Amino acid sequence: MRNLYLTQTATIVDIKSQNSMVRVFVLKPENGKLFNYWPGQFINLSIKGFGEAPFAVCSAPSKTGEFQICAQKKGVLTGKLFALSMGDKVGFRGPYGNGFPLSKIAKRNLTLIAGGVGLAPLRPLIQLIRSRSFEFGKIQLFCGAREKQMLLFQNEYDAWQKHLQINLTLDIASENWKGNVGLITDLFDKIKLVKNPVLIMCGPAIMYPAVIKKLKQKKVTEKDIYVLLERRMHCGIGICQHCVLVNGKYVCKDGPVFNYAEIKNSPGAI
Amino acid sequence: MTSSDLKRFVQYLLDKNYIIYAPVKKQGRVLIEQISDSRNFTLVKERPLYPFKKYLLPPKQALFNFSENNGSENNPDRSRDEKSAANMRVLFGITVFDLRAVALLSQVFEKDSYFQDIISRTIFIGQSPVPEETTFYEKYEENILEHFKFDIFIESRSDQKNFRIFTGSKHGQRMLNDFGYADFEHIEYAGPIPEEGLSKFHKKLVGKVKLSYGSKIWKDLGKRCLGCDKCTLVCPTCFCFKIYDENNPLTDSVRRTREWDSCFNSEFSEIAGGAKFLKTIQDRIYNWYDHKFVRIPREYNLPGCVGCGRCSEVCPAGINIKEVVGQILKKKTPNIINIASRTKKSTKKRRIKK
Repeated sequence: MRNLYLTQTATIVDIKSQNSMVRVFVLKPENGKLFNYWPGQFINLSIKGFGEAPFAVCSAPSKTGEFQICAQKKGVLTGKLFALSMGDKVGFRGPYGNGFPLSKIAKRNLTLIAGGVGLAPLRPLIQLIRSRSFEFGKIQLFCGAREKQMLLFQNEYDAWQKHLQINLTLDIASENWKGNVGLITDLFDKIKLVKNPVLIMCGPAIMYPAVIKKLKQKKVTEKDIYVLLERRMHCGIGICQHCVLVNGKYVCKDGPVFNYAEIKNSPGAI
Repeated sequence: MTSSDLKRFVQYLLDKNYIIYAPVKKQGRVLIEQISDSRNFTLVKERPLYPFKKYLLPPKQALFNFSENNGSENNPDRSRDEKSAANMRVLFGITVFDLRAVALLSQVFEKDSYFQDIISRTIFIGQSPVPEETTFYEKYEENILEHFKFDIFIESRSDQKNFRIFTGSKHGQRMLNDFGYADFEHIEYAGPIPEEGLSKFHKKLVGKVKLSYGSKIWKDLGKRCLGCDKCTLVCPTCFCFKIYDENNPLTDSVRRTREWDSCFNSEFSEIAGGAKFLKTIQDRIYNWYDHKFVRIPREYNLPGCVGCGRCSEVCPAGINIKEVVGQILKKKTPNIINIASRTKKSTKKRRIKK
């Protein structure tokens, strides 16, 4: 019988520092094994002696077999991950979760909403938009961060801008910042939403109620809102109960991408 | 089968090197222990305080050992107790409550190689329980047996001196035949879920528990409950677990470990950075009931509570599941579900007409 908890080995082939707390790790599965996943799915990263933790794959599937995760140094496992160098090996299992409902959202206008490191799980979608693997209508990105250095993937914005409208805001402005200052919800008062959009948001839990309240004022259709949820996870397959949404769903199995309408009545989900 | 036949059967199994675990009465308490001698064996008909769960889901279990400096290792640890490796284990005298829990766990851990490995080495010899005051589950009836996985079942009736014997597997039949006992009836396994699905009682509870969220029932329980997790330890259906690495500094070895967890632990839902999603004891106790009476019935079409009453027995705050369920059922809730489903249907019809 297949053992669900065994991990595959991957080599860290590149590390891209985003800021002092956030790094992108490029992983290559050992023995040239293909790792097939759907954009928006996640893996459980395993480091010997430090256990496991879930990470969104932050890159679209590629032909090279490599994939990327974006980690913020926050706990014991990420502390160890940041101590690793190129060439070091880690374990992983997955992919888990549902990923983005691409067939449902294709051809629609898209509004992506990201808070802080929440931009990372949305990046596969942006890469798909760029590679034109899927056709979309008009696309815009609302992205907020505490300070300028906390904005992820800054060196990619020029390339992204050819395909989507980027709207940035910072909580704290640095001297040379010319963009918006304030919460992400402020952006919605200043920038017009694309017509009849599908909205996909990823950010800290505190961001969701505020943004959703704002979107409701803008008369956005509830069924067109998607949220990516973060929860503690151990098994990744809907059994261990850590990632439960009361009344029925498991973030690892039924998410992490949820239609807002299906979880809005689940207490504590948003 | 007479009591002395049963005793001889136990001895026969011991002689065959089966490892037997059975309820034993000790200082007024019923515990489950390994039986090594049939001479003192009597079938204890009371429900043991702890369920048989730990023999199927070990409280702490190695998933695999890491070797070298690899990030991962495809080397599951299958080292077992030398004695048990060659032998089958018998869970003797497992009550209907616990068999019902095994039926659920077998669904939940259907794809779990560790659980399935244990199940394949386990013989279930069940017994009918005496009615318990603490339970609210429907009474024991013969026809529920077809939905339990067991090898042999011992039915004791207060009006009859001898036991009635059923078999539920070929293995059970073989064991009895080899022992030299033929007066048994066979019950063909009909799958874990009865034809009618969930009982009316549990169907009703799914909606009632959902609608009770945020009500005074939970506010009060949130104040009473200590969050001590005793109920989850003795519950035969509680199966939450955590996975972590256990480091042995002496041998420099690392073992990926799975261990029982409890949704009452405050860090159960904590993510990196410290945010929690089951923040208060009220959140946690609601979640516990939600799992038993809403999520499990929805996911597996089986009740998440077998009605054994163990949680009520161990609760230091005196919380009684039967009373809580009674309160939830009594609570008048507007029949929102029915109204909602009716309007849904009618709009559907209208749409079709268009």
